[in-house]
Order: sequence, then structure tokens, then C-alpha cells
Amino acid sequence: MMIAQTMSRLPSVLASSSLASEDSGWMRFWFRNTQGTFADGVDGVFFYIFWVSAIFFAILMGLMVYFGLKYRRIEGKPAEPSASHNTMLELSWSVIPTILMAIMFVWGFKEYIVMRVAPGDAMEVYVTAKKWNWNLEYPNGAGSLETVSKSVEGRVLAGIDAPVFVLPVNKPIKFIMTSEDVIHSFYIPSLRMKRDVFPNRYTTLWCEPTEITHKWDPEKKHGVPVTANGKGLYLFCAEYCGDQHSQMLAEVQIMSDGDFRAWMAEQANTDAIDKYTLGQILYKTAGCVACHSVDGSAGTGPTWKGIWDDARPGWKPQPGDAAVEDNRAVVGLNYIRESIMNPGAYLREGFANQMPTYQGKFKNREIEAIALYIKSLDPDFTDEAKSESEAEMAAKEQESGGE
Amino acid sequence: MGGHHDVSYLAPKGTPLQTLLAWMFTVDHKKIGVMYLVATTFAFALGGLAALLLRAELMYPEIGQVLPEYKAGATTITANNLYNRAFSLHGVIMVFLFIIPAIPAALGNIFLPIMLGAKDVAFPKLNLLSWYIYVFGGIIAVYALIAGGVETGWTFYTPYSTTTNWGAVTAMVLAAFILGFSSILTGLNFIVTTHKLRVPGMGWFDMPLFVWAIYATAIIQVLATPVLAITLIMLMCERMFHIGIFDPSMGGDPVLFQHFFWFYSHPAVYIMILPGMGIISEIITVHCRKRIFGYRAIAFSSIAIAAISFLVWGHHLFTSETPAANVVFSALTFLVAIPTAIKVFNWVSTMYKSSIVWNTPMLYAASFLFNFTIGGLTGPPLATLATDVHLHDTYFVVAHFHYVMMGGTVFAFVGGLHHWWPKFTGRMLNDNIGRIAAVIVFLGFNMTFFTQFFLGTQGMPRRYATYVDDFHHLHMISTIGSWLIGLGFLIHLLVFIQSLLGGEKAPKNPYGGLTFEWEADSPPIEHNFPHEPVMTHGPYDFDTVVPPHWDPKDYPLPDPSKIKPAH
Repeated sequence: MMIAQTMSRLPSVLASSSLASEDSGWMRFWFRNTQGTFADGVDGVFFYIFWVSAIFFAILMGLMVYFGLKYRRIEGKPAEPSASHNTMLELSWSVIPTILMAIMFVWGFKEYIVMRVAPGDAMEVYVTAKKWNWNLEYPNGAGSLETVSKSVEGRVLAGIDAPVFVLPVNKPIKFIMTSEDVIHSFYIPSLRMKRDVFPNRYTTLWCEPTEITHKWDPEKKHGVPVTANGKGLYLFCAEYCGDQHSQMLAEVQIMSDGDFRAWMAEQANTDAIDKYTLGQILYKTAGCVACHSVDGSAGTGPTWKGIWDDARPGWKPQPGDAAVEDNRAVVGLNYIRESIMNPGAYLREGFANQMPTYQGKFKNREIEAIALYIKSLDPDFTDEAKSESEAEMAAKEQESGGE
Repeated sequence: MGGHHDVSYLAPKGTPLQTLLAWMFTVDHKKIGVMYLVATTFAFALGGLAALLLRAELMYPEIGQVLPEYKAGATTITANNLYNRAFSLHGVIMVFLFIIPAIPAALGNIFLPIMLGAKDVAFPKLNLLSWYIYVFGGIIAVYALIAGGVETGWTFYTPYSTTTNWGAVTAMVLAAFILGFSSILTGLNFIVTTHKLRVPGMGWFDMPLFVWAIYATAIIQVLATPVLAITLIMLMCERMFHIGIFDPSMGGDPVLFQHFFWFYSHPAVYIMILPGMGIISEIITVHCRKRIFGYRAIAFSSIAIAAISFLVWGHHLFTSETPAANVVFSALTFLVAIPTAIKVFNWVSTMYKSSIVWNTPMLYAASFLFNFTIGGLTGPPLATLATDVHLHDTYFVVAHFHYVMMGGTVFAFVGGLHHWWPKFTGRMLNDNIGRIAAVIVFLGFNMTFFTQFFLGTQGMPRRYATYVDDFHHLHMISTIGSWLIGLGFLIHLLVFIQSLLGGEKAPKNPYGGLTFEWEADSPPIEHNFPHEPVMTHGPYDFDTVVPPHWDPKDYPLPDPSKIKPAH
């Protein structure tokens, strides 16, 4: 025990004192971002391995180049005889690497156990992964309604408007994760955490962020970066899961506990958002954006643009289906509701039945909001949809004002 | 026709049709080896083109740089889907059709029997059967590509692979299944050949180290590949009959597939690298004219690697398995690093006080040492639990295994090809242009893949068609490097073609090698040697023996009194 502690302390002193001070150019070069409690341990082991490797590499390549230049063939001159076997030499180059690697193993195992045992008081966040988006359910039951636009600051967020997930600083957070379809992997590089997410099974991991990257702006209702490190914190999917695997990402923002609570409360309050805007938000945060475009371009699923009130060839609802309105099968509220709850119901020609069901995920008003948003995407109905949304909001305000 | 005692194995047999039939039904290990060489080179070109396409797409973060979105009937094929098919194609082709058979079945087939002083492998007809199974598997793989390809990656992880309704997954899995049998039969043949067909007087420790490496490889092929076959059968059943072994919605366990898959595929990693290590041992000794340092250590380390390779598969599951399993596999994984490190130390020590000629094969051997050392040293961060959690499934892993598989095996393969080309074709290669190409490939390779270590530590996951722009600059450097690799290999190809069309005729022993293949003609006659060769010296006695077909006045030997005994 004593030995293991001494061994682990020695190289960490070496790594942290001289080379791995927080936010140095050297650290940014290797890891870009560092915001969690695991980073010290993980990076310490990493740099220990790195320096051991760098020294071995320099010795080996130095010798190779030196021998290569010094012992170039001179025609007519034989190679000087030398030993082809040396027990002491061979023993030492077997034993020394073994010892150095034993340190790697023990130290790496120690830090790994820290990563795998969550503190009892950790805040629990439920994670649902599906093709191709992440859904985090916070302790107040809310998911994230916030997205960050791909067009801000000339960023390319893999070509999508990514959802934003906020984490509180200096608080342990435990993620309880499951998948609705295939294996995904929950990966936040700046927190040095990763764990696979499986269907029909829960896996967990935890973290404790150490640095505030954003503060909550209650007026604009989004996070504002407070450090240069604020840009570039991501949640990625690290296990290949199909078409939009690389677009299964989110931005991570770390806020003070107070800001985090304000943000979380805001996310729960969908009633305060008018239906048109809510539809727009849910399109991005509930994962619709991964497959359905709103500009007419093709994706894994059909586009939403200009489909409202359409009866198209290839959509074949059966008699008695909810989508048959006024004796016409049309894209309306019923059609959309059914397609969200039971995605295979009105499969459009040329598209596979890939979408997971959203049964139990949406409130009625949220489904109505999505339908309204789809309606607004048809040029013939845009104005009607927007005024419908305004009317509903106005009625709501009147009601609450009258109390 | 003068009978097979004095005719080159490449000599035509009557009319072109008769020659073609003679090749198709040959049981000559050299001809079968040459046919494997042609086929694997073709597979390498196909897999390489897919890689260039991937790199071009990744040059900029947005999707659709070079891969177009297009309509096939009512279905729209997205650029994402094309990217996923391209990386799956690259993986499947490079692993199953190129790198596993490339060295053992091509160069191993040609040189293992000759190096043992044998006329052929132990079971020549079985050898031909292996070749036809390989061709059959290859045809099914090509069919699967035409039928839409696969977008599962070469690892076919469940439940993605059992539920995806894109492409020809079942056909591609069947192809891998069939190719596995070719690998098993080749391995079996080489094991028996090594045991039974060594020339009288050749003990185990008189064998060239290339034979040791191929022998260790063959053991893994025979023991591990059946597990892959069983796994792939289960995968096909799962897809076709939905029996629920791996599918969690039917009570199966998707992690079980990962265990089965890596139980084969991790040892398979050593099927890929061990033969390359064997080639490096040959190249360094011959072109340094030096007895290998630590012969027994290198020979035993091959066997040790083969044995330990069966115990480390769990390190592919560090982010999916429980800590109890992970800690065991982490410790076992470090064990495999020891014999690997010993080999590198021995190769560098062999260069000490040697007589080095920097021709194309030797440049490739030195490049191998450079790349493989980096590839080896980037293994420990992936074997260490804490660091692997961060690096798992990122570009760090991509860079690591390309440093081993490409920087190691492919560099050894190309080096070996240059080393033995005069022997099996009878023609010399243009060494100056070869050296230029070798330098271009080396620079391009390191530019392409060294950048990917930083992509990995910075958190770029693998198998991404598009990415956040933070990673743009590193990806751009990597892509430009890939063009240099392409250019270098193109030059090599032209040098090969020039050699075949009008290369200088090769002498029997152009480099002064001591193993049996350098006693044979260039190219060898049908039964390799006119009479069974006699074992008169060890494979690496460069300090005491004038190489076969050399004049002692062109090959001065050191003062015998200064030579210490080898062991």
C-alpha cells in the first residue's frame, strides 16, 4: 500500500510541477479542455506514461540513427565481430520495462476505481440515448429545451443545432443511462469520462465539474461563456450507432449551483413558451433534427417542409385511421400524433422504419406544438400557424392575468 | 521441355491457355503465393482508395465534401451513409482480404518451404484449396459491396449489426466466415510443414526467424479463427432467424458478442503483426550482414506473444465491462508488451558494429522500427484503465493501431517485397527510385497518423463523418499526409511494373543472404532446389560464412580469432 502510494505520488509531482500546470499551452495542446475532478488523476498517469515512452523512444531511435550512420557499409571491410547475446543486458531490458509498466497498471487502476464509485450524495440525472440524440432528465423532471446554433461565431457543430446540457460546478453528478435502440457511449472529453450505454440495461458513471464555463442570463434565457475554455465542451457519442453517429452531440455548460437551478427551472416551464417557439425548440432538443429537415433537403427521415394538409402517394392510411379527416388521408394533427407515438404507422415510401417511439415522452401541448411547427413550415399555412400560436398564448395570459 | 529440375517456376507451359490452366490447378507453393500476392495487392489498393476517400471527406468539418447525396429510386442515400460504408469497406477489406493473408499466405507461402529446404508445403493440394476458399470468400465480399455494402464497421457490433436494414450485412459476414477457413487451412499447413519438412540437420534453433514468426502466427490462426467462425454463424442466425443470443430486446446480451468477437480479433491482431516482425528480422540481418542479436529471445518472444494474445481480448471492453473484469485484462495486456519490447531492443542491438547498406528494404526496416516503436509505446495508455476511459474509441486508438498495422505490418510487407522481389521474380528493382518512394511513404504516413494522436487526446471520437470545427486543423494535416502515402505507393507500383517489364536480371544472391532461399535460383526452379540442400551453417552466421554464390574475395570475413561463440 505504502509502495503504491509512493509510486503514484512520485510521477505526479514530476508531471504537475514542471509540465502540467492547469491551462498551460502544453495542457491545452494535449487535452484542449479540463474541467473535472478526474482530470488530475487521468492526466497524471497519462504524462507518466508519456515521459517513460518518450525517453525509451529517444534512446532507441537515437541508437538506431547513430548505428545507421556510424556502421554504414564500406565495401571490402567486414563488420567488426561483437557479441550476439548478453544475459545482463537482455535481463535488464526485460525487467526495467516490467517495473515501469507495473506502476502504470497500479496507478491507472487506482484512478479508475475513483471514476467508477460515485459518492452517495450525487445528484442523479437520467440519460436516455437513442439514434441520434441524448436526452437528460434532471431531478425536477425537465429535459433541456436549449440549443446552441451552429451558425454562431462561425462554428461548425457537425452541421446541426446541438442541444445544451448544463451541469452544476463542484457537485457530484451521477448519470444513470440506458438506450432505446443500439449501443451508444456517453463521452465528455473535458471531464475525462466515458461509459457505454446499452438497451435494456442501466449503466452509470459520475463526474464533478470544477470550473464554471457559463453563467445564466435570465433575460436572454441562455448561458453566456465566462472563460475562453467555455467554447468547446461537448458530449459526444463514442460508440458507432449508424447514420448520424457523428451528429449525436450536445454542448455542455458548467454553471454555478444557483445559475444551474435557475436554468433547470426554466427548462421545466414549457407552458411559458408559445406553441410555435416550443415546436421549434422540441424539434432540436427531442432529436427530430437528426433525421428530419425543415428546408426540404433529404435526410434519414422525410423532410417536414411543405407537408401540412397533404395527401401524397405513398402514404397509405387504412380506412378508419385517425389520419383520415373529412374522408381524406392528410398530414394533420392526428397523422403527426400517430407518427410520433407509433412511427411505423404511416411509413413513407423510400424510408425505413427506424424511428423510436416517443410514447410517454411528450405532453399533449408539446405534440400540438410540434404539429403547429410542421404546419408553419408549409408556406400556405405559415401565417395561420403563427396566429394560432399567438392566440393561444394571449388566451393563456388573459386567464392567468384574471386570477 | 526439360522437366522440372531446371525450369523456373514462372516459365510458361506451352500455349497461354495451358499456362493459365497450369496456374489455376497448380500445387506449387510459389505459384499459389504469387496468386495470393496479386489478390492481396488488389485488395490493398481497393481498401487504400476507400481510405483516401475518407480522408478527403474529413478534410473539412462539414459533411458532403466529396461524398455526394444521391437518390436511388425513392430512397435518398445520404453522405453520412456513404461515409459509413466507406470506412466499413476500408476496415473489412484491409483486415480480412489484405492484412491477414498478405504476409503469411503470400510471402510466407513462397518462402517458408524454401527457407526450410523443402520442395513444397506439407499438403500442397490443401494449399490450393485455401487459395480457392479465399477467392470464393473474396467474391462474396465483392458481391456484398455491390449489393449495397455494409455500414456496421468491420467489427459488426450487435445490436446495430443485427437490426440495421441497410445493405448486405449477412453476405459480408458470410464472406468473413469463409475467409476464416482459408486462414485456418493455411495455418495448419504451415504448422505441419515446419514440424515435418525441415531439411535433415535443421533443428528448431537453426530455423530462420521468419519461419518462427510464421509458425507462431499459424498457431493463432488455427486456434482463434474457429471462434470467429462460430461467432459469425451466431450473428447470421440472429439476423435471419432472430433467435436472441445478442439482441437485448429478446433477452440476449450485446456485450457477449463483443467478448466472442475480440476473443478472435485480438489474437488476430498478432496474426497481422507477427509475420511482419519475422520479415524485419530477415531484412536487418541480411542488409546489416550481422548475426541477429538474441536469436532465442526473438524466437521465444514470438511464441510468448502468440500465447499471451489469447488472454487480453477484454481490453476492448473497458468502457462496457465491469471493473472486476477490466482490472484483470488491464494487467494481462501489459504482459504482451514485454516480449514485444524485447524484439525491438534486439533489432536495434543487431545494428551495433554491423555493416549497413541503406537500400529500400533496409529503409523500410528502419521505418518499421520507428513506426512500430511509436505504435507499441502508445499501447500502454490504452492498457491503463484510467487513461483508456478517456482515449477509448477516439482517434488515439485509430492512430495507435495504424502505427502497428500500417506503420508496422504494411511497412514490413513492402520492405519484404523489395527484399525478396529479385528472388521470386528474377528481376532487380530500381533501388534509387524505391528509396525516394520509401521516404515519401514514411513522411506521409507519419503526417497522416501522428496528428491523430492529438485528435484522440483532445477527444475526437472515431467513425465520425463530420465533426466540430475545433478539430479542423489536425484533420487537414492528416488528409494532406494521406496524399503523400498514395503518391509513394504509386511510385512503388511503377517501379514494380518497370522491373517486371525490363528489370535487370537478378543474381541468385544479390544481398548476400545465408538462408536457403538465397541458394536457390532467381526465380527458383519448380521444386526449389535441384537436390535437397545441405545444412552447412546457421541462418545468421554472417561473421563466419561466405554467402552462397559469392566469391570470398568480394566478401571479406573478420578475423576468426575475435569471434566469440554465439551462445
